Amino acid sequence: MITVKNLYHQFELGKKGNKTTLPVLEDISFRIQEKEIVAIKGRSGSGKSTLLNLISGFIRPTQGEIWINGTNVTELNETDFAEFRLQYIGFIFQNFQLIPSMTAFQNIELPLILKGTPASARQKIVEETLEKVGLQNHKEHYPSELSGGQQQRVSIARALVLNPPLILADEPTGSLDSETEENLLHFIEQLNRDLGITFLIITHDEQVARIGNRTIEIADGSLLEGSDSREI
Amino acid sequence: MKFKDQYQFVSQNIKKNKIRVFMTVLATAIGCAFLIVLASVGFGLHDSILKETMEDRAVTEVQVHGRETDGNYQPLTDEDIDFFESLEGVKAVTRNKQLYQTPTYKLEDYQAQSNTLVSHFPSEVKAGLELSEGRLPEKENEVIVGYNFRSNLLLSDVNQEELYNDQDEPKDKYLYQDSLIGKVMDMEVIQINDNQEETKSISLKIVGVTEKPGREWEEDRSVYISNSVLKEVEEFTGTARGMVDSPGGEQQGPELEIGAYDQVTIYATSIETVKQVSEQLETENYASYSVISEMEQINILFTIMKAGLILIGTIAVLIASIGIYNTMTMAVTERAPDIGIMKAIGAKPKIIKRIFVLESSLIGLAGAVIGTIVAYVISFAVNIGLPLIIESAFNEELPPGLKFSMIPWTLVLIAVGICLVVTILSGLRPAKRATQIDVLKAMRREV
Repeated sequence: MITVKNLYHQFELGKKGNKTTLPVLEDISFRIQEKEIVAIKGRSGSGKSTLLNLISGFIRPTQGEIWINGTNVTELNETDFAEFRLQYIGFIFQNFQLIPSMTAFQNIELPLILKGTPASARQKIVEETLEKVGLQNHKEHYPSELSGGQQQRVSIARALVLNPPLILADEPTGSLDSETEENLLHFIEQLNRDLGITFLIITHDEQVARIGNRTIEIADGSLLEGSDSREI
Repeated sequence: MKFKDQYQFVSQNIKKNKIRVFMTVLATAIGCAFLIVLASVGFGLHDSILKETMEDRAVTEVQVHGRETDGNYQPLTDEDIDFFESLEGVKAVTRNKQLYQTPTYKLEDYQAQSNTLVSHFPSEVKAGLELSEGRLPEKENEVIVGYNFRSNLLLSDVNQEELYNDQDEPKDKYLYQDSLIGKVMDMEVIQINDNQEETKSISLKIVGVTEKPGREWEEDRSVYISNSVLKEVEEFTGTARGMVDSPGGEQQGPELEIGAYDQVTIYATSIETVKQVSEQLETENYASYSVISEMEQINILFTIMKAGLILIGTIAVLIASIGIYNTMTMAVTERAPDIGIMKAIGAKPKIIKRIFVLESSLIGLAGAVIGTIVAYVISFAVNIGLPLIIESAFNEELPPGLKFSMIPWTLVLIAVGICLVVTILSGLRPAKRATQIDVLKAMRREV
């Protein structure tokens, strides 16, 4: 599903004429199989979020390749990567990243709109997805009217609505209390089991890492020795 | 993303900022209304002048003044007339000769001195000459008189002071009152031989009276005689066109060619063929004039004027576009986090751009529609109100049918087009900025 080959990334700091570079990832290689739940664990500043952003296409690597579902995404331009994300990747963010002026229904509907799904079909798909996440009674609520756990469920519903084979989750439980966290992790496991969705979860939380089939540890921009990277 | 969804997306965004969008639409509407009203003055005056020109003279007329040969203008002769008649698109060629003396016409106790023209009646009929009464001459001594000829025909044995009123107009009681049709009058022409004035009288029967001239101030007091009457006059005077010799024995007027015409008018079969006839005449070095050519000049002048007015009006729209630019820039800044989320989940830059361009286009379109309606109202009010103001303020009556402002559909199209182009252009930069928003920064609310 995901193959990362010799990935390097460095940030450019400073202004023109006085630029310095800050290496954040060095020679990262790993492979993730279909239907796996893989946790990428690391401390703050270890480079795990940068790794996720590189896989998501939000930033471009300095060097190396990322293959998702047989496509070398590092070669895609911005438009093609957007199309690719829409088709193959669902996102769950730490801060939910819901559009505040849209209801739960409208937030979940957004990927379908972007894909050009007809309005008549959208209604049914969104209703079904809302049911999956148990929010059928909250569809007209705005994010500000929902609890943290409910917002995260809307975020998951939005990620699920186009049935992507892969979901990238960045600290999905970071803004939740322990009980809600527990429920969410069960839900992720259930989705993986029932729908065969591959999950790549970025976390610093041991408990979250535990639901993964395996854990890849990252420290100071490199994979830790002993990480189960299923080397290429 | 379907257009309908884009539209819904945009309308939701507009609803969120109703006041700001309303003010921007208002600015655009004012700009658009200003552009239309300003240009409508050009369109209105152009239309009024064209109508006036068309009403005054026959549109299919081409007047030919002469032919240029070796740098000199030669008068037109029968040879030229034959050429004109052979041209494609020519319906009739009327030709007049002027009698070079003013004969005295005597009818019973009344007499008049009138300008006398020699007309070719068959061609006049072809050209569509209309009479107010009577018929066209059929015999050699039959003539028609101008509509106002009667005003010249005054009682002969009354002294001049008594004849006229204070406005120097003949008193009604001294004017000929009966119908002129069928009346026989004498045309008296003179010639000076050996310092002695000799007179010849020719009897002419009035068979028709021409139609009233088109304009109120125009008068037709002429007598239209046939070519054979002219020949009789020329035989008596021994000069071309009956020119009177001066007492010294020399001719008083210019040297004249026998058979040359003073006024030749070509009537084209339709407005479309006027240009074709004029071009053929130009090729053959004839000096000609037609209303159409005058209209072309008027059209060129007014087109330049209208273009200038539209340009000035466009400045107002450009000023309004600054408002749109500002509104759209604020919209992009405010919605940066939303744009970031949309991009993250798979919105293509093209779609983001299209949404913002659509928003600015809708603002422009709404402004253009409202501006057009307002412009129509202003135009209507100006056409009614301004003549009243001018008439009361300057005490001057304006020509009937004068339009100060006219808004044809072409002007509406031009104005709406300009509005849309300007608003789309002003929305392009903010829209491009929206596509360049960094996903991560936007999601962190750092934009």
